[in-house]
Amino acid sequence: MVGIGFRKDFAATLLQSPSFHPAFIEVAPENWIGVGGYWKKMFRQALEKYPLYTHGLSLSIGSPDELDLVFLQQVKRFLQETNARVYSEHLSYSKCDNAHLYDLLPIPFTTDAVQHVSRRIRQVQDLLERRIAIEIVSYYTPVAPELTEIAFINAILQEADCDLLLDVNNVYVNAFNHQYDAKAFIDQLPLERVSYIHMAGHEQVSEDLIIDTHGEAIIDPVYDLFAYTMQQLGHDVPVLLERDFNIPALDELQQEMDRLQAIKTVYLKKHQHAAV
Amino acid sequence: MPLSDLTRRHQSALASYCRTGQYNAIPGVHAGHVTHYRRLVYNVVDDMLQSAYPLTHHLLKAKEWKALVQEFFSNHPCQSPQVWYMPGELYQYMLQVQHPLLQQYDCLQELLWLEWTEVELFMMEDRPVEYTPDGDLLTDALVLNPEHRLQRFRYPVHLKPARQITANDQGDYFLVLYRKPDTGEVSFLNLSPVLAHMLELLAEGPQPVSELIRQSCAAWQLPLTPDIEAAGSAFFSQALESGLIPGFKIKKDT
Repeated sequence: MVGIGFRKDFAATLLQSPSFHPAFIEVAPENWIGVGGYWKKMFRQALEKYPLYTHGLSLSIGSPDELDLVFLQQVKRFLQETNARVYSEHLSYSKCDNAHLYDLLPIPFTTDAVQHVSRRIRQVQDLLERRIAIEIVSYYTPVAPELTEIAFINAILQEADCDLLLDVNNVYVNAFNHQYDAKAFIDQLPLERVSYIHMAGHEQVSEDLIIDTHGEAIIDPVYDLFAYTMQQLGHDVPVLLERDFNIPALDELQQEMDRLQAIKTVYLKKHQHAAV
Repeated sequence: MPLSDLTRRHQSALASYCRTGQYNAIPGVHAGHVTHYRRLVYNVVDDMLQSAYPLTHHLLKAKEWKALVQEFFSNHPCQSPQVWYMPGELYQYMLQVQHPLLQQYDCLQELLWLEWTEVELFMMEDRPVEYTPDGDLLTDALVLNPEHRLQRFRYPVHLKPARQITANDQGDYFLVLYRKPDTGEVSFLNLSPVLAHMLELLAEGPQPVSELIRQSCAAWQLPLTPDIEAAGSAFFSQALESGLIPGFKIKKDT
């Protein structure tokens, strides 16, 4: 199944379009918690039509600050009320020194951060009474690293015993920005933990830097990396198309979703044949 | 193993740079690329504030706006994990520090209130209220839409462009902002002081128009004339049509 990020920019069109048919929608809980009026009506209509996946923005799992337990309880209620199938968050921080930043900053790849973040993921899973999936974020500079990125991520996944949200575009972006082999990176991940995949477009802003904008169509090399991931994965997972800015006509998004589904289908069939 | 002080300091240094734009070297950080974090964070905040305060953005000079956003985000630790609340924190911040711009532009405080209240009313959680659409305007108790704000302004920020407002415009302006139950759209109605008083009374609990008029006339020491009764009825009739009054109190069986 392939879903779409439910954006206010195209919510009304999505709900009315006969030719646009995502298998599910995804929202950030913090954009919908406690919202009433027009948007609540639209969201309710969407929930009647589509299963919900969620992807948080503000939990700040990698923050040095204390976890916001009040907010976490609100998230828990939201997940229950909406019957959300998945709750995922970013392996990053967005709050520090008691101030929200509303964007995702890279955590230093250090051993103490591994312990700190893993402990918090376990705490979140306990409080929510569900496993969560953690997303590898795109990053534009390392911060005081002691470990490699892959060692940092794998240590957290193991220590926290959580699922992995694999954003294939982020792996592509990071491999370009930090000059490593994206496929080799994917080979080193514990792919059995992958429960959800994100796909998106990006923007190259200089010779040596790509920014993860979610504002462009997915490019062919990222489709290729997705195909490679599906080949290696060996099991089916939901895939989300993220498009946050520069929104095209919905049939263009449908074409991207169809292409993602076609790639998935090819590799899932191959795995089924291999199993037989 | 707890998070080390060193890691905390590095995280704090990066966050501080994103908030203030003042960069102090952090080990391992690519100085050319880290600027994108500052740019991205600043743009999120600036876009959100411009979107919430389009009239204020238009009123202030570009330099003033930029300095305000920079000052607010540097000095104020944003508390809400929900980014749409953040513009409300700007309004509170400006009141709290008695921002010089509030002195420079007499109507700014009221303009900020108007713009933030519009956002807040549009977004806020539903406040269900019991009512029936069937009733008699003159005799049955009216129910006020709880999704409203009553306000008294010194300047007509809801009536004319802020740049055109001068000291000569000072006066008493009463208005009610409310969210329309059917569309979710936020609308406002101009009020006379007496009508504002009637809505205050109605906010305390359902009452019939005749009672609202009687109490308000007594409070304002006005004679209860047919003209006043007709004006009151006309207003509440309009309020019923526009959704400020969704309907009538449900009569319980006794």
